[in-house]
Amino acid sequence: MNSAKPFTHLRVASGFSFKYGTAHTYQLVERAAEFGARSIALTDRDGMAGAVSFVESCEANGIAPILGVNLSFVQKKYRVTLLAQRGHLGSLYRLLTAINMDNDENILTHNLLERFSEYSKNVLLLHGPESQLAFAVSSRQTSKALSIFNSTRELFATQGIECVSHQIRGDGPYSTPLAAKLLGFAQDNSIPAVLSNAVRMLDRSDGPVADVLDAARALVPLSARHIERKNSEAYLKSGAQMYAIADEISRMAGSRDGQLLIKNTNEWAERSALSPRADVGLGQIHLPEPSVVGAGNRSELEAQLRQRCVAGVASRYAGSQLVKANERLEEELSTVRTLGYETYFLTVADITDIARAKGIRVAARGSGAGSLICHALGISGVEPMTHGLLMERFCSPLRGELPDIDIDVESARRLEIYDAVFERYGDSNWSAPGNKSRCATVSMVETYRARHAIRDVGAALGIAPMEIDLIAKSMPHIRSKNIAKALENLPELKNLNLNTPILKAAIELAGRLDGLPRHLAMHPCAIALSDIGLQDLAPIARSSSGYPMVQFDKDGVESIGLLKLDVLGVRMQSSISYAISEIKRTTGAELDIDTIPLNDAPTFDLIKSTRTLGIFQIESPGQRELVGKLAPETFNDLIIDISLFRPGPVKADMITPFLETRQGFRTRPIIHSDLESILKETEGVVVFHEQVIRIIATLTGATLAQADERRRELGSADGQQRVCDWFYPSALAKGYTHKVVTEVWDILRAFASFGFCKAHAAAFALPTYQSAWLKTHHAAAFIAGILTHDPGMYPKRLILSEAKQMGVAIAPIDVNLSSASYRVEDNGGAIRISLSDVSGISAEEVSTIISGQPYIDLADFVYRSGADRPTTEALIMVGGFDQLHKLESGETSGINRRDLLLHLQDLYRLNGAKNSINQSQMNLGFEPPPLEASGLPNLTSSEIVKNEVDILGMDISSHLMEFYGEFLNAIGAVRSSDLLKHRSGSSVLVAGVKVALQTPPIRSGKRVMFLTLDDGFGCNDLTFFESVQGDYAEVLRNSWLFLARGEIRRTGPRGISLRATGAWELAESYEKWRNLTVYGAAASE
Amino acid sequence: MFEQPLSNQASQPSALTAAAQVSAPEGEPIEFIYKGRKFHIHAIVSRWRESGGWWNRINDGNNHLNEVNIFDDGARAIWRVEAAPEGALNTFEIELDEITKTWQIRPTSRPL
Repeated sequence: MNSAKPFTHLRVASGFSFKYGTAHTYQLVERAAEFGARSIALTDRDGMAGAVSFVESCEANGIAPILGVNLSFVQKKYRVTLLAQRGHLGSLYRLLTAINMDNDENILTHNLLERFSEYSKNVLLLHGPESQLAFAVSSRQTSKALSIFNSTRELFATQGIECVSHQIRGDGPYSTPLAAKLLGFAQDNSIPAVLSNAVRMLDRSDGPVADVLDAARALVPLSARHIERKNSEAYLKSGAQMYAIADEISRMAGSRDGQLLIKNTNEWAERSALSPRADVGLGQIHLPEPSVVGAGNRSELEAQLRQRCVAGVASRYAGSQLVKANERLEEELSTVRTLGYETYFLTVADITDIARAKGIRVAARGSGAGSLICHALGISGVEPMTHGLLMERFCSPLRGELPDIDIDVESARRLEIYDAVFERYGDSNWSAPGNKSRCATVSMVETYRARHAIRDVGAALGIAPMEIDLIAKSMPHIRSKNIAKALENLPELKNLNLNTPILKAAIELAGRLDGLPRHLAMHPCAIALSDIGLQDLAPIARSSSGYPMVQFDKDGVESIGLLKLDVLGVRMQSSISYAISEIKRTTGAELDIDTIPLNDAPTFDLIKSTRTLGIFQIESPGQRELVGKLAPETFNDLIIDISLFRPGPVKADMITPFLETRQGFRTRPIIHSDLESILKETEGVVVFHEQVIRIIATLTGATLAQADERRRELGSADGQQRVCDWFYPSALAKGYTHKVVTEVWDILRAFASFGFCKAHAAAFALPTYQSAWLKTHHAAAFIAGILTHDPGMYPKRLILSEAKQMGVAIAPIDVNLSSASYRVEDNGGAIRISLSDVSGISAEEVSTIISGQPYIDLADFVYRSGADRPTTEALIMVGGFDQLHKLESGETSGINRRDLLLHLQDLYRLNGAKNSINQSQMNLGFEPPPLEASGLPNLTSSEIVKNEVDILGMDISSHLMEFYGEFLNAIGAVRSSDLLKHRSGSSVLVAGVKVALQTPPIRSGKRVMFLTLDDGFGCNDLTFFESVQGDYAEVLRNSWLFLARGEIRRTGPRGISLRATGAWELAESYEKWRNLTVYGAAASE
Repeated sequence: MFEQPLSNQASQPSALTAAAQVSAPEGEPIEFIYKGRKFHIHAIVSRWRESGGWWNRINDGNNHLNEVNIFDDGARAIWRVEAAPEGALNTFEIELDEITKTWQIRPTSRPL
């Protein structure tokens, strides 16, 4: 189409011009390809975040990419366009990086240009209709225009004039008259002039979307006053349309036609057309140089990796295991050598070493745990050989991409690792050319989804904020094109008339914003590493948290072959670390949790008991039920448990046949003895990717690496067909019968997509086991850890209740003994509540209170602690001074917490209205007033618990349920710990505090609600099926304390769950019962 | 360069103005009938395109979206032309409403 008049658009803004461009990069590229263009530019405003996906689309559509950026120049209101020349893309990236690092508004200044002229001299500059030069030409200040042009003449490779006509009325920017004047100016001064359409839309009909984005960017409602768009011509026009515009402009400038303008445009396009591979770096790998890890050249690099791995293997294996390990190591090393990935492994090892040197816990997650090299280098703690983990699943010569290692670190210290990596691989001097950074964080594109789309559109259309808010808040996290459908199903919007023209328009427009980039944020955990050429491959900006950040997202970074490392903060790792430090502080023992044996019987007894609250991965109600049924006995069982507890296997019901066989209700199906060793561990059910790989390799004689490629192909329908066409003849040729081949193929096809990477599950199982071991052997330290770092899904009050059941006492807050975190006391017999939990307390108060410890009395505390009055009152109310003033023991005659509050009032009155008391003045001033008993009654125990819940968010002195003890006994409610004594199928009443209410996806697609109640003796897990939800859904969502009725279901040796038949607000039921008993008593009198 | 529009009607198409007869076989106007007389276009002085203000028309009714869900954005193309019935040259604006494909003709305030 139109290929006779090919035209290259040199100025195109996509959606990556945030809240300006209305089109996706691929749409623009596809349209340009349809028009027969040889090339197309992407020149987004202020950044180049869309560059990689744009270049990939260009490559796929067979047209050449041109990259540039549109920036403010000298002043915010003037804009120019920079284009990269072929062979010099790195210069544009580095110049943009310099601008990004210089100022937040991305303004290119003369000062910057002079400092970074070694980059700008390779860059092309276009003065378009928004440039300072155009403004001068427009007001007939020709000599000023010329001096503007000459001021940057030496600083760029070439400068040109960009003529644009959107056929705007009048002679302002984007009108034909101004374009003609600019063309005349260029001709008069022998300056090259090119034609563009300053594209920001795909189609003429996208005008309203552009208006909404303009309004959202400027934070104003739509009105003629605010909207810059005068018509809808800024769309990607065809070659024929552009030739006509070239003629129109040129004729007005006195030429016969637009030939010269078109010719110049084509010349510029040719000069800046990039090679996706040679210029942009697609499909290549850019790892740190050998010198970074201390090697002079490749052979030294290989030697270094080998040396470290051999030493690592020697220290971890012995005897025949060592021989096997060395064999496998050689195989893995040879793969790495073929791929040239030595620096990859050594760099990741370097970073895990940096972390360990700082005493930060690190664990690899993902398929990397399948590599013996990763284990030998200390990147992964999982021993791969015993568990049948495969290097090929992680890294193979058949795969054209870098392997992916994610490392889990202590959440609380994650940024310390960032800082250390930047110290080692970064360079903080951004003010001069030649920055040597080899690392940066990675960005993440936030796109328009339903909520943001409806908010921005609603605000632009001036819909009442309350109405927008109601719709936006009720909106689930969905694509904005699905809003209309979602609205039909939301009961909370029943009262809103969604058929008004304005709401219909809003929903339609929100749908058109769907998926457009909205904002560039920092990826929460990814770091990109490369060699010194990093900045020639990607522009860098500063993230809002101050770290240098590549403007490309994860996929972009992978496409250009940077080493991407995910450093994930895991709270459980912080909790484990804290537990270890508490063990050391209280007992002096150095515990190396990474070397504990993985077959500790008491640990598995605890897991089997389903008392797994607080343990990594297996504490949810669903997992508690599964471990109850599965009864893990070994580390491998834990790996299986974690792999089975995912939506895929749940949906495919892989769990039932596995459990039935395991519990002996079914015999294991044996298809062929060759598969026995592969499938034995999972009772004949295919659970792991590694099993799929091995089955394919066994039946066809393919290598494991080839088998993994086939496994990946199984993911798509036509891939399955390809594998099938290959699998049958290969397996039959190996001598397997047609029956066996068919049976195996059916299994592969059915389960391949649900399989899970065993290495990944094993990596997860390690902290699961470690946390279970700590809970078993060091309950107080472990629980102090999870209270301090809060890794799990349950509220603290439930964890406290768990501690009590584990025989660990909870020591109340004490101004002299509490610290910023939960401390183990009494030889592991108790946990002291931390000061940080007091509601409203500041981190500074916590630290000044601690540095002032010990205090001799309340007055001393008021003078020295730095705590403000509300904090001090809160501390009194939760008993923080009870010990100090010996309230419990009664030695201070008759004094109670109310007296302390009055005393506090006196202390403040004495010091005037001052809220914070200057200690030295205070001590030199008055004697504190005496503390006397006022005779007021002390707080009742229910008031005390109420204060605890209000101030600390948890009940400490007694369980909330205790106040209902009489009632619950009277109605015969069952304690959670006694449920096992009841027969399966019997109906019981239970009670408790809501711990969790979940509605997970379930196999049948019907909604099921899971309610977990803590009654002080453990947890009751209730399942509400659809038939009972109608009557109780509201009470389930809105109440906190429950009385519930359910039918007992036994699911395994220790597994028990309740099929709920009713749920009521506990306090309401209690009131009814009390009225009834009082009434009943009165009646009987 | 250009004078201000004659009235709001110059930039806002009005439903009250009757459609004019314009002959534009290849998209560009050539002839038109104005006040009963046929005018021939001698030269196009300038041309431009306008659109926008769609948000003001949303509440006019439920028909803010046409059958292919495109907002009525008031898209129009305008030609300022020199035209004459017989010898007398005048300046007109001829407007094509691109949604309804109807034409309007306005004489400009002063002849060029």
